Amino acid sequence: MLEEQDMSAQEAAAVVQDARARARKELVICAPFVYAAWGLALLLGYGAMWLSVRGQHPYTGPSGVSIAALLGLAALAVAAVVVIISKTVAGIDGQSARYRSIILRTYATGYLILLCVQVAIKGSVSTRTVAFVAFAAPLLLAGLTCILASALGLNRPAFALGAWLVIVGASCAWLAPAAILAVCALAGGGAFLLMAVIETRLRAHAS
Amino acid sequence: MPAENGLDPVIHAPVRLRVVVTLATLRDGDDLSFTRLQELLGLTPGNLITHLRKLEDAGYVTTVKSGSGVSARTSVSLSRVGRKALDSYTAVLRQLLDSASTSGTSPHQPGPANPDRISPGLPPGPPVRRSDDEAIL
Repeated sequence: MLEEQDMSAQEAAAVVQDARARARKELVICAPFVYAAWGLALLLGYGAMWLSVRGQHPYTGPSGVSIAALLGLAALAVAAVVVIISKTVAGIDGQSARYRSIILRTYATGYLILLCVQVAIKGSVSTRTVAFVAFAAPLLLAGLTCILASALGLNRPAFALGAWLVIVGASCAWLAPAAILAVCALAGGGAFLLMAVIETRLRAHAS
Repeated sequence: MPAENGLDPVIHAPVRLRVVVTLATLRDGDDLSFTRLQELLGLTPGNLITHLRKLEDAGYVTTVKSGSGVSARTSVSLSRVGRKALDSYTAVLRQLLDSASTSGTSPHQPGPANPDRISPGLPPGPPVRRSDDEAIL
């Protein structure tokens, strides 16, 4: 049994550093990857929809191809994030698993409600209202979810991202449909990408 | 009980130190399955059980068995006492490294100190940062 041998202080420090680095790599969810995946999906997806409605007079809505692009990118992001998170948290149980479940269910329920509202109001309100509910409200919901994650202590820096997304989402209520898509792509997707950079620096600093 | 050098002898052993540091990476209230811990540390089940028992006897870790048959699961977590013990251990370790670099001697090793070995010691700040930077879903 490789044990009970005497260790010097330097050797012990090396063991601590090595074990900590390995544990963080294996057991802590790679936040930069998750943020980057969502950031790219939002930037490219919303960006594609914005390109398809740019110059539309009157506004008729994003093209089917651009909507498919957003859905495809979102599906890819979800798949990548689920794979990474599942691999990382395998074998870990307890409070954080319960918190992740709460966050997931909160967003899913909120998004389902938004879909129902969208169907219910379609045809009876302006295209601007429909665009707000369809494109900006999910971002607002994502912001609230980030704030919830921060409040639960899962990811404290997510509060800043959440607050920003809420401001961006709410601001879209004053914008035209095409502008909503541009703002969601740049201010929404961009914020996620910026968060990926910040998290990368935080992780490098912590190690 | 602290050893002569002030380092907790229960933790001051390579495998147990790795176990404790690995478990300290988890958030408070989380636990890790025995098999994942074993896989992470590259130990045999018997070896890991032996060390876990010592840590458990000291009140540093808690193991809980749940389920039965194929769904049986043994989970391991660091107790509050264990987390405090690791904090104290790393604080003492840092002091030893600091005093060694000041006096120019290697702690607990005869002969001249090797600055290259001392410098990559523990960084300043909290000894073990918990995983408070998970990404949201």
